[in-house]
Amino acid sequence: MKLLSTLRAFFDERLGLEAVRALARKKRVPNHGCSHFYYLGGMALFLFLVQIVTGILLSLYYKPSPDQAFESVRAIMTEVEFGWLIRSAHSWSANLLIGVLFLHLLTTYMMRAYRRPREMTWISGVLLLGLFMAFGFSGYLLPWNELAFFATRVGTAIVGVIPFIGDHLLLLARGGEDVTGDTLARFYSLHIVVLPLVTFGILGLHLFLVQKHGMSVPVLTAADGEHRTPSIPFVPHFLLRDMVGWYLALALLAALSALFPWELGTKADPFASAPAGIKPEWYFLFMFQTLKILPARLGPFEGEVCGVLFFGLCGLVVLLVPFLDRGGKSRMVLNVLAALAVAFFIFMTAWSWFSGPGQGVRQIMLGTLLVAVVLFLLIPFARAHSAARSAVYVCLAISVIAFLSASGWELMR
Amino acid sequence: MRVIHHATPTHAANGVFLIVHANPNPARRRWLLRALQGMIGATVIAILYPVARFLRPRKATVSGALELVAPLKPKDLLNGSAKPFDFAGKPCLLVLLPEGAKRLAQGERLQTDDVRAFNAVCTHVDCTVKYRPSEGDIFCNCHDGVYDLDGRNVSGPPPRPLEKYKVTLRGEPGQEEIVVSRQA
Repeated sequence: MKLLSTLRAFFDERLGLEAVRALARKKRVPNHGCSHFYYLGGMALFLFLVQIVTGILLSLYYKPSPDQAFESVRAIMTEVEFGWLIRSAHSWSANLLIGVLFLHLLTTYMMRAYRRPREMTWISGVLLLGLFMAFGFSGYLLPWNELAFFATRVGTAIVGVIPFIGDHLLLLARGGEDVTGDTLARFYSLHIVVLPLVTFGILGLHLFLVQKHGMSVPVLTAADGEHRTPSIPFVPHFLLRDMVGWYLALALLAALSALFPWELGTKADPFASAPAGIKPEWYFLFMFQTLKILPARLGPFEGEVCGVLFFGLCGLVVLLVPFLDRGGKSRMVLNVLAALAVAFFIFMTAWSWFSGPGQGVRQIMLGTLLVAVVLFLLIPFARAHSAARSAVYVCLAISVIAFLSASGWELMR
Repeated sequence: MRVIHHATPTHAANGVFLIVHANPNPARRRWLLRALQGMIGATVIAILYPVARFLRPRKATVSGALELVAPLKPKDLLNGSAKPFDFAGKPCLLVLLPEGAKRLAQGERLQTDDVRAFNAVCTHVDCTVKYRPSEGDIFCNCHDGVYDLDGRNVSGPPPRPLEKYKVTLRGEPGQEEIVVSRQA
């Protein structure tokens, strides 16, 4: 015991641990109807840690060359002990991470946590979402299978339609006219070196700002006075609750990885035709479907160019939300736009996910399920016993009933 | 902060948050803490176990051959610059002794002992050794380890002799195949 306390004093003096302990003792987190949304950030962080660990492990066996990439991933799945688990965990965790980040963004918007002085926290968060989507896109190519090959061709071609600089960006992204071994090397470097470095920087800023400004309290609660909002100590109360979020994420991840190991598909053949029903990952489906239905020409412009510019503009609006929200009318416009954006995302995703003929019922199932999730998130934002709360309940009931009926119909067939 | 020992719904409604230390039951608290720690420990083990297994090297894909016909003929060994070849995943060094070189030049049949085969991995720290005909020894470039032509460690840091393989020659003089074999 004496030794322990001596050691502790030694490190205390040199590392200033007392300051950390004091901070941990002092830090409190607001506790209110929307507090559950705070855990989404912790879950995202946890899933990012899973990505780092599983990614490092995969890099021990992965070989980034067109001749060996597919074979090395196949070897990971079949020869390396628990390789299937590590790779599935990496892929599933990436998807869960993006899903959690979407929810984190949406709920942060709903809580209007981007209000002064937290504008930079919002902006760094939106940049992080963009980075993780870039992680997803670059990582998708690495197994060098058919789907990945064509997804990369399409994805980089979309970059190519950006006016003026598109051609240069395309060459830069592909490392040549076509998707080749050089593209694979570029994406590999991007995926395991460039993106992680940038992410660590921005994530560090994001976490620092969250710590610096403390958790934002939603307007509804803050109206009673921010200082009167009940709060709980960060250690251990909030941390233990946060851990429940981590465990949920871990349980979901373990179940998905064990029950649905990630597919490998067939090796890419640069000269073969694209396989039928080819699709990107779900978080790009809304863009994919939009580009699919756009006509070749919209007035004097190419349809594809309009689509790409439109999504670019959307991204910019999301990034600048803290500055566009100037109260009153502008907030109303933003809220309507946000609702439209979510509806558009859900509609397009559900449409594209089940794209074959006779899949209408499944599209309705997915769409109503997603709508129900979003409405469920809305509940704490409407005052109890108010007309708004009742409206949310009614809409939620309708979407749940629609989902259940569609599911029942699908099961009966 | 006010400390309240018996929380009522009114307290909660007034937004007073408290850590209730009232009616502490140390045994139960300790048990709950232990359970929590145990659960976290179990999770860590459940995560580390597959990771540790993942890190274990794959089963070697090299052949476990015990015997191999060398890809070299005795005349390839004449100037002593023949490179080691792959024998069951290890570099195998062939040495043609000076007497053997003489016999070969005169067109005589080689003696079995004229050609020697070694596991070319230095016993010091795993460099690959080479034959030096001018010095009549086997030498390791990394740390100047010296072995004689029987594979015995003579000077420098190597702690043990080189592993020696059995050599059999078969075929016509001058055209002999060199067969290398080792113990399992």
